[in-house]
Amino acid sequence: MEYFIQQLVNGITLGSIYGLIAIGYTMVYGIIGMINFAHGDIFMIGAFVALISFIIFGLTGVALPVILLLVLLIAMLFTACYGWTVEKLAYKPLRGSFRLAPLISALGMSIVLQNYVQVAQGARVKPMQPLISGGLEFFKNSEFVVTVSYLQIFIVVLTVILMGIFTYLITKTDLGRAQRACEQDRTMTALLGINVDRTISITFIIGSSLASVAGMMFVLYYGVIDFYIGFLAGIKAFTAAVLGGIGSLPGAMLGGLLIGLIETFWGGYVSLEYKDVAAFSVLIVVLIFFPTGFLGKPDIEKV
Amino acid sequence: MEKKDIIQSVKDSLFTGIIALALFGPIVGLRTASKGEGLFITPQWGLVFILVGLCILGRFLINLNSARKTEFTFFSKFTSKLSSVTEEKAKHLAITAILFAVVFPFLPFTDRYFMDVAIMILTYIMLGWGLNIVVGLAGLLDLGYVAFYAVGAYSYALIATTFGWSFWICLPLAGIFAAFFGILLGFPVLRLRGDYLAIVTLGFGEIIRIVLINWYEVTNGPDGITGIPRPSFFGLPFKRSPDEGEASFHTFFNLEYSTMHRIIFLYYLILVLALITNYFTLKIRKLPVGRAWEALREDEIACKSLGVNPTNTKLTAFAIGAMFGGFAGSFFATRQAFISPESFTFIESAIIVAIVVLGGMGSQTGVVLASIFLIGITEMFRDLEQFRMIAFGGAMVLIMVFKPKGILANRKPTILMHGDKK
Amino acid sequence: MSNLLSVENLTMQFGGLTAIDNLSFDAKNNEITSIIGPNGAGKTTVFNCLTGFYKPTNGQMFLHKDEGKISLRKYTDFKIAHVAKVARTFQNIRLFPAMSVLENLLVAQHNELMVASGYSLFGLLNLKSYRDKEQLAVDKARYWLDIIGLTNRADDNAGDLPYGDQRKLEIVRAMCIEPKLLCLDEPAAGLNPKESAELNKLLKFIKTEKKTGILLIEHDMSVVMGISDHVVVLNYGKKIFEGTADQTKTSKEVIEAYLGVDE
Repeated sequence: MEYFIQQLVNGITLGSIYGLIAIGYTMVYGIIGMINFAHGDIFMIGAFVALISFIIFGLTGVALPVILLLVLLIAMLFTACYGWTVEKLAYKPLRGSFRLAPLISALGMSIVLQNYVQVAQGARVKPMQPLISGGLEFFKNSEFVVTVSYLQIFIVVLTVILMGIFTYLITKTDLGRAQRACEQDRTMTALLGINVDRTISITFIIGSSLASVAGMMFVLYYGVIDFYIGFLAGIKAFTAAVLGGIGSLPGAMLGGLLIGLIETFWGGYVSLEYKDVAAFSVLIVVLIFFPTGFLGKPDIEKV
Repeated sequence: MEKKDIIQSVKDSLFTGIIALALFGPIVGLRTASKGEGLFITPQWGLVFILVGLCILGRFLINLNSARKTEFTFFSKFTSKLSSVTEEKAKHLAITAILFAVVFPFLPFTDRYFMDVAIMILTYIMLGWGLNIVVGLAGLLDLGYVAFYAVGAYSYALIATTFGWSFWICLPLAGIFAAFFGILLGFPVLRLRGDYLAIVTLGFGEIIRIVLINWYEVTNGPDGITGIPRPSFFGLPFKRSPDEGEASFHTFFNLEYSTMHRIIFLYYLILVLALITNYFTLKIRKLPVGRAWEALREDEIACKSLGVNPTNTKLTAFAIGAMFGGFAGSFFATRQAFISPESFTFIESAIIVAIVVLGGMGSQTGVVLASIFLIGITEMFRDLEQFRMIAFGGAMVLIMVFKPKGILANRKPTILMHGDKK
Repeated sequence: MSNLLSVENLTMQFGGLTAIDNLSFDAKNNEITSIIGPNGAGKTTVFNCLTGFYKPTNGQMFLHKDEGKISLRKYTDFKIAHVAKVARTFQNIRLFPAMSVLENLLVAQHNELMVASGYSLFGLLNLKSYRDKEQLAVDKARYWLDIIGLTNRADDNAGDLPYGDQRKLEIVRAMCIEPKLLCLDEPAAGLNPKESAELNKLLKFIKTEKKTGILLIEHDMSVVMGISDHVVVLNYGKKIFEGTADQTKTSKEVIEAYLGVDE
């Protein structure tokens, strides 16, 4: 039982990270109907920017909460630049091209980003000293002590806050309305005087910022990153987006949590070596039997 | 150009510079390196300024409008010229290329290194041709093609090391095995939309790799399989000192022993395998099933309305593509005599997809050109491995932006009513 | 004249929306039956149910063949064309644009050619039996191309044809599967008067010479009134009128549906 609770806590933490990345997939899919294959690598770049900022601020001796806030903002800002540029270079010219074109372009972009970071930052794994330590312990009298670290609390709380801000943005502001309008009908939206290009750019910026937050959490949580983390995390987050129903924002978060839980429980109870296989199998099974996910709209083919 | 335009384009270039600074600043400018305990930052601002400068300059040149257009028209003129030349002279080109490939091992400048590169290029050509059936003809983006390559290589290695059967028995078995895997995967997933299919095949490729790493009992895990038998020349092994009473290739033909014999044999082996793949593809393209593949690529709904069974049709493309991947895998295993999961990563799939896409989907000549270009030329700069991958990815993006049908995009009808008019 | 198609109590719902509401009608052999109605009346949905793209919520559709009547509900997807021999065209033309005109017509004969090529085996061996069958298929394509006057463009890409020719090509491509029932979704959309007249001629030819029943959705009243033997009028998914072309023209319900009612 205690072990189960521990896995649950770990799963929710991991799920928060996946959920934040998944939002980027789901938003881009909603608005331009393509899978942004390079999104996982944007997350990886966010993690690197966060790591670099942590090292720099670590030397200044500023108080921890200030560091966290600064790093958060810096990571969001710089990573958003990447998201914006990728859209302008690799996707925007392809609107209206044949269906697989954006996917191939995105694949190319993903290869570029991965190897660019490898060249610029080296191929070795980058370890970082833990910044937030300690935690709360439960069930102290039992055999298995359940630990909820402050870091886990920080991650989950930050995710909830961001989700709140984000939901407000989408449901209550002009920007959100414009985005939802673009999802429905891009041509009509443009005819109504809404700058569609700008709306799409902003979508990429928001998605990338959230991915960078996930990147920062990843650095803090695992304490080690390399240029390759974007690949696996990207696929899992994509799975999360599909599981929740691609195009649906609450779905992405829900899917993220589910994937986080599935992965941790599989790792905890079945086999650690095959935990990535679990994620991939979920992806395949969901896509085959359940392509609209939990909260997605059914996709009726117009003939 | 008017003054206003110039000011505008200078402004725009400076904006590009700011963005470039934001992009390169942290990632290139602040290189992390481990020293003793923990990480330290090594600044490389010089490099950042060079990169930012290049971006500003590049953007400015593009903004001088005409530059962009001439550049682009030059590029498309060149590729369409290339397309028409390769199309008009297709027969001559093919014969010349095959003749060159046949005499290549005996050319004066050909040495061991050249032969190794040539064998590698041919392997990729074969893989490219195999995948071209799936991606180019049937329009199914398969990002896990390496899985079939791996299945072919492992089944060859396992059969050959366990039963000791000869290459010529193991090769078809490995191909059948790979095709079987293709059907196994394809059956449930081929109903999916194009982009979902791409992700699912990618996932399948990774699953196969993870299983290969972890299934020690069979695959020997990350250590891989060693001692895979080399192929023999119709029963004559390529050994320096053959066993008692056994003839070896050089003793039988009364030659001086040389390791080159085996290399040359492997070269011809892959050449023949690749040409078979090509011949098969060219043939089957003109059959009903080949036309149905292309029709599915064009419009699946229209196909259904004409009574074409999409799942079965896609499945044949998938299985045949997988089979050729399996053949190439067997060849890889016998050439290396050693295989491990490391050789079958996602990046291999990406390279093969890149070859097909860049060459022009569906174009057999395109695959050859792209393989020579991507594998051959970059092989010369092996030390710059990572830069080569950046160039790979960049080329994929550029091709999609400027020439989405690939460099050689001309398609010839599979059957003519009026014969060749030209 | 005997019945070819009977639709009985067909209902199709999407979520809460009822696109077709308890619709019944018959279409006869060697007749052109038109389904007309204002936009959103559910005409295309009827087609999508008939041709297996949607599974209707309720109701039956029967096709009367020489060997007996078959239920179209049992066939979905490609089997509608392959087994039940119901062919269709689309509102927004769906040719294979990058393939030649001839290839388009050969894909329509895919199933026979597959068998003739021994599921590719005989084809790969280049057996004469296959080559002969292929020639027959090309001859059939030529026959249809002669009729629509596109024989000299057989080797050009279908996507390069003018719009009107693409429409005609799509219709003869559907005819290449030798259907019992041909369903045409707004075949005259975007055609000029001359092309519309040619279309009328082609459809009459198919009806009389090929003995194929035609089911037609159309907005262009000159086409509908010129060639229909039987007209079914839909509004909001319900049948509001059924009769001959002349009866339809004077029907009060139909005029109301199209022009609205004065309060």
